[in-house]
Amino acid sequence: MKQIAPRIMALVVLTFALAPGLFASGQTETTAPAAATGGGTLTIGVDQEAVGLDPNIVTAFSSFTRLDLMYNRLVKLDDKLQIVPDLAESWEVPNNLTYIFHLRHGVKFHSGRELTADDVKYSLERILDAKTHSPGRSYIDVIKQIDVVDPYTVKLTLSSPLASLLAGLSSTNCAIVPKEDVEKYGNLQRNEDGTGPFKLADWVPDNSMTLVKNPDYFEAGKPYLDKIIFRVIPEQTSLLAGVKAGTLDMATLSDGSLILQAKKDSSLNVMTTPGINIRTFSFNTTHKPFDDVRVRDAVAMAIDRSEIIATAEMGLAQPTGPVPSSAGQWALPMSQLPFSTPDLAKAKDLLAQAGYPDGFSFNIVASPTYEGGLAVAQVIQNELKKIGLKPEIQSVEWGTYIDRWVKRDFDTMVELRGGSPEPDRFLYRTFYSTGGVNNFMFKDKEVDALLDQGRQLTTFAERKPIYDKLQVLLTQKAPAVFLYTPEQTEILKPYVKGFKVMGNGSLLFLEETKLAK
Amino acid sequence: MMSLDRFRKNYIALAGAIIILFYVLVALLSLVWLPQDPLAMNSAEILKGPSFATGHLMGTDEFGRDIFSRVIVGSRISEIIAVGATGLGGAIGIFMGIWAGYLGGRWDNVIMRVTDVLFSFPTLLLALFIMAVLGEKTFNIVVAIGIVYIPQFARLSRASILAIRSSDYVRAARSIGGSRSYILFRHLLPNILVPIIVQISLSLSVAVLLESALSFLGLGVQPPAPSWGNMLSAARKYMTFAPWTAVFPGLAIVVLVLGFNLLGDGLRDLLDPRLKNVA
Amino acid sequence: MGRYIAKRLLSLIPVLLGVSILVFFLVRLIPGTALEMYMGTQVEATPQQMIELKRVFGEDKPIPILYLDWLSRIVRGDFGYSLRTGRPVLPDVLGRLPLTLEITLIALILSLVIGLPLGIFAALRNGPVSDAVIRVTGLLGLSLPQFWLAALLVLAFSNFQGWIPMGDFVPFLRNPFQNLKMLFFPSLAIGVGLAAVIMRYTRNSMLEVLQMDYIRTARAKGLSRKSVVVRHALRNAILPVVTIVGFNTGYLVGGAIVIEEVFALPGMGRLALNAIQQRDYPLLQAIVLLIALLFVLINLLTDILYAVIDPRIRLHEGSDT
Repeated sequence: MKQIAPRIMALVVLTFALAPGLFASGQTETTAPAAATGGGTLTIGVDQEAVGLDPNIVTAFSSFTRLDLMYNRLVKLDDKLQIVPDLAESWEVPNNLTYIFHLRHGVKFHSGRELTADDVKYSLERILDAKTHSPGRSYIDVIKQIDVVDPYTVKLTLSSPLASLLAGLSSTNCAIVPKEDVEKYGNLQRNEDGTGPFKLADWVPDNSMTLVKNPDYFEAGKPYLDKIIFRVIPEQTSLLAGVKAGTLDMATLSDGSLILQAKKDSSLNVMTTPGINIRTFSFNTTHKPFDDVRVRDAVAMAIDRSEIIATAEMGLAQPTGPVPSSAGQWALPMSQLPFSTPDLAKAKDLLAQAGYPDGFSFNIVASPTYEGGLAVAQVIQNELKKIGLKPEIQSVEWGTYIDRWVKRDFDTMVELRGGSPEPDRFLYRTFYSTGGVNNFMFKDKEVDALLDQGRQLTTFAERKPIYDKLQVLLTQKAPAVFLYTPEQTEILKPYVKGFKVMGNGSLLFLEETKLAK
Repeated sequence: MMSLDRFRKNYIALAGAIIILFYVLVALLSLVWLPQDPLAMNSAEILKGPSFATGHLMGTDEFGRDIFSRVIVGSRISEIIAVGATGLGGAIGIFMGIWAGYLGGRWDNVIMRVTDVLFSFPTLLLALFIMAVLGEKTFNIVVAIGIVYIPQFARLSRASILAIRSSDYVRAARSIGGSRSYILFRHLLPNILVPIIVQISLSLSVAVLLESALSFLGLGVQPPAPSWGNMLSAARKYMTFAPWTAVFPGLAIVVLVLGFNLLGDGLRDLLDPRLKNVA
Repeated sequence: MGRYIAKRLLSLIPVLLGVSILVFFLVRLIPGTALEMYMGTQVEATPQQMIELKRVFGEDKPIPILYLDWLSRIVRGDFGYSLRTGRPVLPDVLGRLPLTLEITLIALILSLVIGLPLGIFAALRNGPVSDAVIRVTGLLGLSLPQFWLAALLVLAFSNFQGWIPMGDFVPFLRNPFQNLKMLFFPSLAIGVGLAAVIMRYTRNSMLEVLQMDYIRTARAKGLSRKSVVVRHALRNAILPVVTIVGFNTGYLVGGAIVIEEVFALPGMGRLALNAIQQRDYPLLQAIVLLIALLFVLINLLTDILYAVIDPRIRLHEGSDT
């Protein structure tokens, strides 16, 4: 008798609940007849529409995931997030200011023209040109000169060493584009002419984007699929329902509760891998009292990562420090970082030392979108009340969230930072005192010195101790509390084979995907 | 006008009044007593179904918070917003309507053109816009919905004033030298009261719906404060496997809105003699 | 009549001008700019880049000047380019319009199909119990939040292949049957409220008519109940219902906005929400202006219809302005 309430509820939804069962038998099978290997159409559900098609210009992650399949870069990341050849089949680094890339032969743009070193030079110069407004510019702005040695060899000369140059070049923003199309259309926002495994066939914004196989792709035999259809479905619930119902073959999910639900469904294949984004609880270090490192440390000590992960992410995330724990070799284990387990008594002590024994009020800016981390903000608010703080959540619409971010109009903010497997890429721009996305207004000479050192050295052995030191230092000085890295998840029908989930959310492995039905 | 006795015999109005009274009592009770802390999180009890054993009569939400307690507190928020927005929009709108209707001329024209402009937007779209401009705060919802209501009340009270401005007894009052404001308050106001009372109860019901729609679209009440709308908004993700997160807050909305609608409908019968024979 | 219509049409001009001013300035009062949205939180730009970007995004001139620029262009039918996609605004907006209109239309038809027969039935079965049932049902229909009803429908029917749109929307011209199937539930969700209103008005109006002398006479002359209802009562009772339907159609358009979000339908509403979120001013301005125009035209049409049915209105309107 103790479960009475569900029954009442069952009555409420009775009509609805019964109906599907009645009709289930009449359901039609929509899956196409079996194709042996290769071929076929794959429909993938995603929650955001691409905004623009010019790989050098777009800023939206949702554009990257599509453009990755239509364009190539000099180098790319594999599923372990290691740099591997893409258009460049090999490269030499004679000294830390010179990179020589040897291009593949016979690579063709979708227009049919062959790609040569001139296109590489043109594209990189386009990215470096301030007028292009390419986000990729900051990744590679140390490039001083680009020389075409022969049609298949390009030499880059740097003005100062940059350890993360290859990682930068692997960005979709550094894709190689054909000059004649840029000149013809002004930019490539509405036209596509890449070298990638798929070509753009049709785009109905807010509905679907259709890609078809590039028969001349330079990797012989690939891709296997004839067609990929991206369907934009903003509701995560509908994405899951779509895969279950068979209108989608796969979908990218970020909502923990739905992923858990998908895992329980034996007719679905759930693939996850540790992601490289980092959820942070960021401070505006110029706002009192967060200008005091003791206050920031007290907050860091009061935060219980495991509770946040359990509630806000349904357990589908790993605790992390300043370098994403998924970046393997670079990341220090949590046990070697300060404040990895909560200590409320010590946190209160620190607050008292800083002159706030009774706590204080401040705002937490968050947004209901996944990136905006509203759920995380609510758990943190709850946790910080335990040490006497009085946080007030300001949940704002996504556009306002960005505005507050740009204007540094927050005391604290829950963020999802786009991390990188290469520590320089993420840490320099985020925590250097003049870093492009240092919205903590964090300035620390020691950190700056280490960041400078780290990017000028090229070998792992030389760099590792520097980044180890940085990770401890950043956690202690706490411009932000580093919380966790969410898992990257795709749900697939079991007949979708050969796909691999990448930690950076890229769908590059669709070129190796087959349908076995 | 209406006697209490007639009101009692009008079961529709009575039922509405009882529902609203119940909600008000629940809201008042929530000030002093709640089954559980509506903000207390419990990571061990996330999205648990309704059960007597755990004490979560309506289950728990994605933070392990007690939905029953949150629905109760939500009634307070919804009622405050409904009353606040209707009060604000009603006060300004009625004032503008009477002003325009009674004075006529240029002012009438200006005010009516302004209401025409505001009327050219679907209510939700206008409220959405105003919220986006003002920022997401509970008080701003009151303002946003209030602004949406202004033209409705203004038009209604203007029309009622126009209808009786030229009627015999106002002319009589004027001819015996009654001052403008005296005539306005002594004669005109009571006569436009009937349609306005009906409009108020309708506005109260729509305000609850608008608040929930705004919160649903993420432009409403600030978390962790539980409003029915933001509970539903959060529940969107979980409802396929935890339907209680969406069903109970939704039911709370439906019943309260029904209460306002029943009351409004019953009052219309009571107050509007034309409909007496029909209903 | 012609003069009345012309007068009403002329009066739309200041209203639409007012709408355009309101929209233009409100859009820019929302915190954040299109440029900020474009940059997001992960992109860096040098100061020179920022100056160039500000020019591209039209943030380099005072707002009143920008407004006059915009107004002079839209008068000539040029709604500008989306700041996000770089595509011309008007074709994109007009491309979304049919879906929103279709949902509105189906919702209207559904509400008539549900509301009219129930209302007639209720009038014929007049009595205290049926009266209470009808009224409470009707008011209940008005009390359901549309998005909640929509969510319940998704929950209940997600196993129905092809009935719940999941980003796989099919335009009417490509496959009418599939299209109608998909729009059934979304339209139902917004039509229920109007169905309730129609039911109540039909019932009241029928009761009023059934009490009229000529109906009584017809009955007394021995005409069958059915023929009296269909041939006499219904025809007269339906007129007031028509105007109520007209006044509420505008609200169906508003409802379509939320419903498109719930069912992931690529209509004007979703385009508007996206445009607000991305501060895509030219796009947003065009959508809102178009929605307002639609709204105003529907209301005007209703007014005209009303005036046709009841000439007293025309006189009244003429006497006080």
